[in-house]
Amino acid sequence: MNIAMIITIILILIVTYLLCGLLFAIPFVIKGVNRIDETAHGGSIGFRIIIIPGVMVFWPLLLKKWMKK
Amino acid sequence: MGVSYLAVGWNRQKKIYDWFIFAFCVLYLSTFIAITAISNPDYTFETALIRSTATLAILLLHVILSIGPLTRINKKFLPLLYNRRHLGVTMFTIALIHGSFSILQFHALGNVNPFVSLFTANTQYNSVSKFPFQALGFFALVIFFLMAITSHDFWLHTLSPKIWKTLHLFVYLAYFLVIMHVMLGVVQYETNPVLFVMVLAGAAALITLHLVAGTREVRKDNQLFKLKSEGFVYVCESRDVPDNCAKIFCIDKERIALFRFEDKLYAIHNVCKHQGGPLGEGQIIDGCITCPWHGYQYLPQNGQSPLPFKEKVNTYHVKVAGSQVWLNPQPLPEGTERPGAAIIIPDNQIIENVK
Ligand code: HEM
Ligand code: HEM
Ligand code: FES
Repeated sequence: MNIAMIITIILILIVTYLLCGLLFAIPFVIKGVNRIDETAHGGSIGFRIIIIPGVMVFWPLLLKKWMKK
Repeated sequence: MGVSYLAVGWNRQKKIYDWFIFAFCVLYLSTFIAITAISNPDYTFETALIRSTATLAILLLHVILSIGPLTRINKKFLPLLYNRRHLGVTMFTIALIHGSFSILQFHALGNVNPFVSLFTANTQYNSVSKFPFQALGFFALVIFFLMAITSHDFWLHTLSPKIWKTLHLFVYLAYFLVIMHVMLGVVQYETNPVLFVMVLAGAAALITLHLVAGTREVRKDNQLFKLKSEGFVYVCESRDVPDNCAKIFCIDKERIALFRFEDKLYAIHNVCKHQGGPLGEGQIIDGCITCPWHGYQYLPQNGQSPLPFKEKVNTYHVKVAGSQVWLNPQPLPEGTERPGAAIIIPDNQIIENVK
């Protein structure tokens, strides 16, 4: 194992994690976000798009919150 | 607040602010690139872009980091504070352009993955003069990225203010990484020490500013209030409170803001319901106490946000006796209406009180 391989593996893990987040983001910004935060009811489309990058990073936390509701 | 989320909560003032930032950035970048093109015709456009965005980003970073202490020292800087998050996001975008073009220019030409190349093209991590400084810039950019993507209020509620603020404190780590990125990078690329000296001077100025503002804050918090009667404490003379502004008093570890509005005095809790902004550092705009951080508003008469908003803060009783202002540090329930204490003696007629 050299450094390049380790970094490649870490990169693949990060990209996979973010892609899972992107998949999760689709139902989340349409439905889930209204469930976990009442202020999001009637939130604009712009708002829903602007939170997608954050959802891709913090999706496990949001999933947990959504499951609880 | 009581209404649904929008992508960006723009109002007139924030629009002016954003146009100003935008115009400044465009002007800076085009001037920088034009001067480079004239004075160094052998520079490529990419190099000019990398350098102009790099210097603009670090300049904006210094502005962002000095806004907090500057507004504490002088209220004239308040307009800068209102929309700091847009300045933050702008800085991130500019730094992202710099980072992306650097990666394109230095790491995307070979057949190694550019991100792998970023960390492996140079592995002299134990050398100062040849240190892989680009990795430092990369980690700083990751921190700015996290701050930028969580900048919407939705994230503040979802992550909780505590986690969000902790994330924010990492800006100081990011700043340190950027300084090292520049210091260690410039030794390798430049023979001209101008940037080196400017960055050192910038860091020194920032540290001084934070120290000055910090010691003032501590001194104010340690002020003792010795005159007491019937639950009230004597805090100041009525003319000490400027019109439409406040003075902040820290009594029994609680900060209370004493506002003057239409020659009456009103006291409310100093902590904004949005993110704990210092209300007493704000001003009264359109009859509302306006938080200096993001402009949440509260009525001085009852500490409630005007409809449709639902925020409420604690209010306090104030008394005026002659020229003396007395404050009762016992908080009233949030949103309690109480009359303002009318100022009796006009400011210019107050004769120095014999204490
Ligand atoms: C992008 C979204 C951002 C938002 C919403 C935002 C908003 C805020 C708020 C509300 C505070 C006060 C919180 C506190 O002091 O505890 C704050 C503080 C701070 N922000 Fe930001 N900011 C953002 C981005 C940035 C970025 C990208 C930087 C740096 C490059 C930055 C630098 C700072 C610093 C240094 C402080 C603390 C200093 C002080 O209190 O004076 N912010 N920010
Ligand atoms: C992925 C992240 C980054 C990479 C790959 C990167 C790469 C580079 C490179 C290759 C240079 C030397 C350019 C040259 O002199 O021709 C440089 C310089 C510089 N970088 Fe970065 N950087 C990154 C992030 C950042 C960030 C986040 C900031 C600040 C906010 C920053 C600020 C600077 C500054 C001020 C210089 C000196 C500019 C000059 O030499 O004129 N960099 N960076
Ligand atoms: S802290 Fe955000 S408006 Fe007061």
